[in-house]
Order: sequence, then structure tokens, then C-alpha cells
Amino acid sequence: MSDTQRLAPAGSDGLLPLLDKHVLVCCGTGGVGKTTISASLALLAAKRGKRVLVLTIDPARRLADALGVADLPDEPTPIPVSELAGIPPISGELTALMLDVKSTWDRAIRRFAPDQETADRIQGHRFYRKITEGISGSQEYSAMLRLCDVAEDDDYDLVVVDTPPSRHALEFLDAPRRVSDVLEEGVLRWLIAPSFSTAWAGLRIFGKGGAALFQIFERFTGSDVLTGLSEFVTQFSTVFGELRSRAERVDALLRRPETAFLLVTQPTGNALGEADAFVGQLEDEGLPFGGFVVNRVHWSGPESPADAPPRGPSGFPRKPPPGIDAAAYERMIERTWDLHGTYSAWAEHDRRVLAALRERFGGEIPYQQVPDILLELHDLKSLGMIHPYLV
Amino acid sequence: MSELLRRELLVVAGKGGVGKTTVTAALGLLGQRAGRSTALVEMAGTSSLVGMFPGTDIGYEGATVLPGLRAFSISAKQSVEEYLLRHIRIRALYDLVFGNRFIAPFMNAVLGLSDLISLGKVMDLGWEVDDQGERVYDLLVLDSPATGHGLTMLRAPQAMMDIARKGPLFQNAQLVHDLLADPARSALILVTLPEEMPVNETIQMAEAVERSGLIKLAAVVVNGVPEAPFAPDEERAFKALVEGREARVGGEAGRALREANRMLWRRGLAQRHIDRLRRSVPVPLIEVPRMPSPSIHGETLEALAGHLEALP
Repeated sequence: MSDTQRLAPAGSDGLLPLLDKHVLVCCGTGGVGKTTISASLALLAAKRGKRVLVLTIDPARRLADALGVADLPDEPTPIPVSELAGIPPISGELTALMLDVKSTWDRAIRRFAPDQETADRIQGHRFYRKITEGISGSQEYSAMLRLCDVAEDDDYDLVVVDTPPSRHALEFLDAPRRVSDVLEEGVLRWLIAPSFSTAWAGLRIFGKGGAALFQIFERFTGSDVLTGLSEFVTQFSTVFGELRSRAERVDALLRRPETAFLLVTQPTGNALGEADAFVGQLEDEGLPFGGFVVNRVHWSGPESPADAPPRGPSGFPRKPPPGIDAAAYERMIERTWDLHGTYSAWAEHDRRVLAALRERFGGEIPYQQVPDILLELHDLKSLGMIHPYLV
Repeated sequence: MSELLRRELLVVAGKGGVGKTTVTAALGLLGQRAGRSTALVEMAGTSSLVGMFPGTDIGYEGATVLPGLRAFSISAKQSVEEYLLRHIRIRALYDLVFGNRFIAPFMNAVLGLSDLISLGKVMDLGWEVDDQGERVYDLLVLDSPATGHGLTMLRAPQAMMDIARKGPLFQNAQLVHDLLADPARSALILVTLPEEMPVNETIQMAEAVERSGLIKLAAVVVNGVPEAPFAPDEERAFKALVEGREARVGGEAGRALREANRMLWRRGLAQRHIDRLRRSVPVPLIEVPRMPSPSIHGETLEALAGHLEALP
């Protein structure tokens, strides 16, 4: 990563500079609140006058929940922000797109096939669904295809990508490349009809010839799997050129300084190691790193940065509130101090994790922490509650 | 002893990060204590189980973690290789098709091979016999991979049977299919967290499993349930104080009140999701309290196993 790609130290603006980017890719493992953070950032940018599209891919349709929209089709859908959030009209626009792997492939085939007949043949093949949806990395690949469309569309100033849930934060980078590899070289070299038979013929060294082996194999799989595969790939290869050109365009897009990768993480487990691996891989690949959002931090501070610290005489009132048994009141106070001990230990743990992150990555990168009180935000109004912590 | 432990195969499923592996390990402890020779199998090829049994070397070949309890960490790649070489018997043929980094992904996609053969590998463990011809393992506990849908793996045998209508792959798929589908031999345990999205996903998955008839859902385990901060009369006193005069309590006590209030709120939120889950999924639901430490082994694993004794 060159110095010009490094972002300014986290100042009072927090993640605000990221909203001026063109593409913001939110990465993170499953269950860290990535969808909520993505939607919240998109909403924030829209409130600040941007035309924003938030792209998500998720079978559980979490974005629909997060945006308070019951169901979104596989088309960009404008979100009536001021109505849903109960706020005055905003200057920007918020659009949501929930990607569906099946529709994305169908659309790509219809668009890229040389003619209707070829498209029909591809889509009618018995392996079509199995390959396009079953191939490892297909979700990520479809997200890339869709990202290519929307990023090249002048309707949006900012595209926020909520990457598919994964075990590793960087699956989104690796998976499409694996699919591309397979589609490009592999298929062309091995599975297209003419070279396919050559490959088998090459097995003549076994004496019985490739054909015999072929039969052994087909007997094993119980059907004409290889023949079917070759057939399918031969038809499918007519769309390779377009697929490859899109993969290249997205690759270039992701490397531009107008793009930023954001890591959403939690202060549990191996947050530091995950962050290290994430930043390291981005640097290796020359991809622009945007910052961290550390979500669900135990928080000893006020509910909102704007809130004042608790005022009033220190200590619990000596007399219980009216109608409350004195003994229960005393036990409650004792218990509250116990809970305070527990919570402080959690908060201390999180503080140490955050301090380690800060020490490791210094002032080079913006990072923000979002308190654990902000859980389960599933309407536009509550998504806005995160904003004070992001900027 | 829980009836569940009398089965041959328990499949533990759920999204990543919900604590599937700890539940798998705890079920292993219960099985072992009930005198069932038990094998734990994690399928992701990651070594999460090692964290539950520190100091052990859990890999594809397995390791004895306690007397009567073995643990395996199998990767799809190794399972597929072992299986195919056993069946195709010609290394070059394997290399040509499945060892080829370009063709293999297609074969995997078309045949659902990774999932099926990983399941097959688990079943091989179940069929393993000792010198006397006795089964080595009475109970297999499978920590299934946290794939997007979770059901993909369980659907693999049927998918294979649809593609290969005869031949050895078909027969193997059918054996796996029949084992999973027999409620006397197999059961599914879903693991989740008391939060909105994990509960939504668990409800969807339970419905999908029910519709598919692939395997019998026997129980749901809700991990990480925050404890109730107060006894009922303390909670009343707390609420009266907070609602009446919180703003006037300052200093350390004010902070303590605010934190306790958050914990109360978290508990209430968790409770609502658990209630929702209970209403939507008609199987026994086991609540496991939030463990004090993020790394679960030794005593914390024992404690977790203790909670799972409530399983049907």
C-alpha cells in the first residue's frame, strides 16, 4: 500500500471521510453486526446528501430486517428514509439491493449469451443450477458481478457492500478469484469438448486407453457426469468473455483510491489477529484499507457521546423508593455493586483489546467503537443511533 | 441419561459463531460419561475442538481426548481423496479428475461431493469395528460446517442420488440418507444465540428441516443466555429507584445503576427471543448461560455439559 492510500489519522471526523468514497466494502466474519453497520453507514451518507446504494447478499435477508423493509426483490429498491425514520426529508437518497445468486446468474446468462437459443440451452442444462449456485465462492462471485453493474451506474455516489457472511473476513476477495480461475483457464483447458477428449486420450499410457478409464469413471458416478459437464461447459464458454471482462473491471475498481475496505469486528476472541491478517492481505494485494469498526464494545460511558455523566449526590439514596421493601432494596444495592464489578471486568477486557489495536495500528487508520447497548437495530430510526459513534 | 445419547449420530448445526463446537464437545463428554464410546467429528478442517481439549493433537486420524472419547478434525479434501482412491483405485484417474484444480470445483458443485463424502467419512467411523468385530464407536457427534444454509450438507445425499441414479456413489449416498432419515438412529441439534438474527435463522432452518424430512430435529440449544441480574423483588426495587431518581444518583453508584440497567435490558431482550423461538419451534429448548470466559475447556466445558443434561 502506498503512502497516498493511507488515510489520515482518526480525527473528530471518525469514519466520515469514508463516506466520500465511491465503493465501501464492509468485511467481517458472521455475527459481528456487519449488516447493521453497513446499513447504518449507508443511511448516514444518504442523510449527508449522497445518493447511496447498499448491496447485500444474504439468504436470511437480514438487510430487509435492518432497514425495516419486510422483503426486497432482487432489484434496487428506493427506501423512503424520512417516512421510515420519522425525520424531515433528507437531501440524499438511499437504495437497497438484496442480491440473489440465482437471479444474478440468470440475468448474466441472458445478457451475455450470444443469442436467446444459447441462453436457453445453458439455463436448461441439468447442471446449470448445481454449478452456478453450488460452486464454492458463487455468492461472492455474484456479488462482484452485481457490484460491477451498480458501481458503473451514475445513479449512485456511494455503493456500500455488505459482504456475504463468512468464516474469514477476506473471503470476499479470495472466492471470486477462485471462481474466475476455474472459469477462465480451467474450463477452457480441460472441459471444452475437443480438448476434453484429448485429455482422456492422453491416458493411453495405461494401455487400455482413455476410453476405458472414462468408462470406469462413469460407472463410478453412475451417470454421464463427465460428458454432461463437458457439454455444459462448452455452451457456457460463450459467456466467458463477458464474465472475464467484468471480473477484471471489478478488480480494477477495488484497487482505486475511491474504494475502501472496512473491517467490522468485535472485541472478543482474536480481534487483533484478525485485524492483522486483514490489513496484511489488503497491503499485499494493493487494496485500499479504510478502517475498523469495533462493534459491541462493553461500555462504561454514557448511552450517547453527547450524554452528560450521571449527576447528583454520589451513592445510593439511603431510603428505599416508596412501596419498596427495605431488605429487598439493600439486597438490590449489593447486587448492583456485584454487577458493576462484572461489567467493569468486561469493559476492562474490551479496553485492553482496543488499546492493543490502537497500539498495533497507531494513528494511521480511523477506527470507531460502537457500544453493546446498540444491539438489534432493525428500523431506520434506531440505525441512526449508531451515527454518533461512527463520526 | 438423555435419550438422545442412545442414537448413533447426533448432528450439531447452526451459523458460525454460535458455539456449535462447544456444544459438540460437551455432548461428547455426556456420551462418554454415559458409557457410550464416542467420537467427535468437526468437518470444517479447522481445529476448533483442540481449543476444548487443550494439549491434544486432533486431526484427520483422530486423537483420544479422554478414555472412551476420540475427536477427529476432517477436511473435505482429505475425505474425498481417501474415498475416491478407495473406490476408483486408479491414482491417475483421481488426479486427472479430482486432483485437477480446475475440474475439481465443477465436480464438487455438480456432485456435492465434499459434503457427501465428508458425511461418508463420518459414517465410516461409525462402521469401524475392532478385532472382535464390535463397533468401535457407539455414538458419533458431528459438528457440521457453518455454511450459508446449514442444510446444504444434509441435502447432499439426496442431491447425489438424483444425479447418479446407480453405481457406488448412489449406494453410498443412500446409506447416508437412510441413516440421517431414521429418527431412531440420528437426530439434529440446532445451536443458536438469544439474538434476533440467529433466532430468525434457527426458526427458518427448523422449518426447512421439518419440511425436508432429511433428519429429525430433536432439540435447540440457546447458548450465551445472559443471567437474570436480579431476583424478582430486587428487580422491583431497582426499577422503582431507576424510574424515580436515577438522574440524581451520581458518581460510581450512578455508573453501576446504568450498567445494571443495561444488563437487565439485555436479559429482557434475550428472553423475548427465546420466547419467540419456543413458540415457533416445537422441540425442547435448552438454555445455556453465558459463560464467564470466552475460552471453553476444563471446568467451563464441564459446566456446559451439566446444562446439556436437560436434553430430552
